[in-house]
Amino acid sequence: MKWLELLTVAGATLVAAVTVVVLYSLGVRLTAIAGDVRQASPRSKRTFANICFGLCGVAVLFGLYLIIPYFSK
Amino acid sequence: MVALVIALALFFDFTNGFHDTANAMATPIATGAIKAKTAVTLAAILNLVGAFLSTEVARTVSGGIIREGSDGVLITPDIIFAGLMGAILWNMITWLKGLPSSSSHALFGGLIGAAIAGIGFNSVNLETLLQKVILPAIFAPLIAGMVAYVCTRLAYALTARHDPDTGSKLIQKRGGFRTGQIFTSSLVALAHGTNDAQKTMGIITLVLIAAGTQSPGSGPQFWVIAACALAIAIGTYAGGWRIIRTMGSGLTEVKPAQGFAAETSTASAILASSHLGFALSTTQVASGSVIGSGMGRKGTTVRWNMVGKIALGWLFTLPAAGLVGALTALLVKTGVVGVVLAAVAGTAAVLLMFFYSRKSHVGHHNAVEVEEAGQAVRFAKKKALARARAQASADATAEAEANQQKDTQR
Repeated sequence: MKWLELLTVAGATLVAAVTVVVLYSLGVRLTAIAGDVRQASPRSKRTFANICFGLCGVAVLFGLYLIIPYFSK
Repeated sequence: MVALVIALALFFDFTNGFHDTANAMATPIATGAIKAKTAVTLAAILNLVGAFLSTEVARTVSGGIIREGSDGVLITPDIIFAGLMGAILWNMITWLKGLPSSSSHALFGGLIGAAIAGIGFNSVNLETLLQKVILPAIFAPLIAGMVAYVCTRLAYALTARHDPDTGSKLIQKRGGFRTGQIFTSSLVALAHGTNDAQKTMGIITLVLIAAGTQSPGSGPQFWVIAACALAIAIGTYAGGWRIIRTMGSGLTEVKPAQGFAAETSTASAILASSHLGFALSTTQVASGSVIGSGMGRKGTTVRWNMVGKIALGWLFTLPAAGLVGALTALLVKTGVVGVVLAAVAGTAAVLLMFFYSRKSHVGHHNAVEVEEAGQAVRFAKKKALARARAQASADATAEAEANQQKDTQR
């Protein structure tokens, strides 16, 4: 039985999903803070938020890279 | 016979498409991230693209369960015909009931039933069956559910905003997740296209090889790929609204952050499994994710009786599709009359279910009701923020006190 493969899939799923969700959540949170009525440095917060979204996008693109056999061959 | 099987295979692809739209698009529709019509269009396009992207999985999915090759039995078009019949009928029944069930399991079930009836019990490879169908069916929702639970918890923990002084809740501003949902659900739709259209391609290729029009061991021909891609895209566009309703609002109430977490889990589970070679069913992963995310958010309840119904549906998928497949195989065995009889009976059953479904119409307009409510809330918040901002900039110092009060109230 392929228990090891099952574990790998479970682990990979967890790591990938948590990465994307954490990055995106941080992005959302920082955007929210930057959008507050009174805020000391909205510019830098916004930048960080965009960095988070960007990293998230990179993670998704990596996923695409994995499923399209044209690239992985 | 070959033409009949190809037509049937394409129809199966169509049912597969509309059966599985819900996997990708149910949660964004439920949260109002995408309009229902736009969502199915997007999913259809991505399915089309996905089907063209990869033809690697084409035969590995259905292969192995029925013993083929020199030491086993030869899969004839008759058996594939019977198997497809079983799969299509089961897909239609579950659609009518609004149950998300795995199309690939229906296909496996149909083929197994047909093989047992047509050839005999020894034609089925039990160990492969256990490994490829039964174990993944148990673990797919478990893995996806747990991951979605963790992700939902994380998403809410990271975006929970409290006033540092008073500890009262600020506006949470989780609207950004709605935008994110568009991307994650697109990813699921794409992954679905790369996975599920392959099965039909594999089957048609198998039939062509069996009929001797294509050399063994060659990949699917271009027109086969194009036809399958189109069939699944049209099916997706048709939209299985009943299943979307179940997934979007029947299992649990879905909020943007929660939907985002669920879809991310679904996408990563599908991608991880197809990349690492342990095939998991898209439908089961998606259902597991929705349930898991429902358990992860505070203040939501998972409708366990609906979960039970779905689980029961999964339990019956294999034997029910198998039974229809077996009956069809027996009919087909009797000769041309049997084939015609089976084809007519199958068409009649599909039409009957279609007309029965018209009685209680579920379409894009009424699939999920929460959409409007979700958007109304979003607009209200935006307006409130704009108002607060204007006030603050107009008279920052004088109104500081008032603003603070407002903040704590929110």
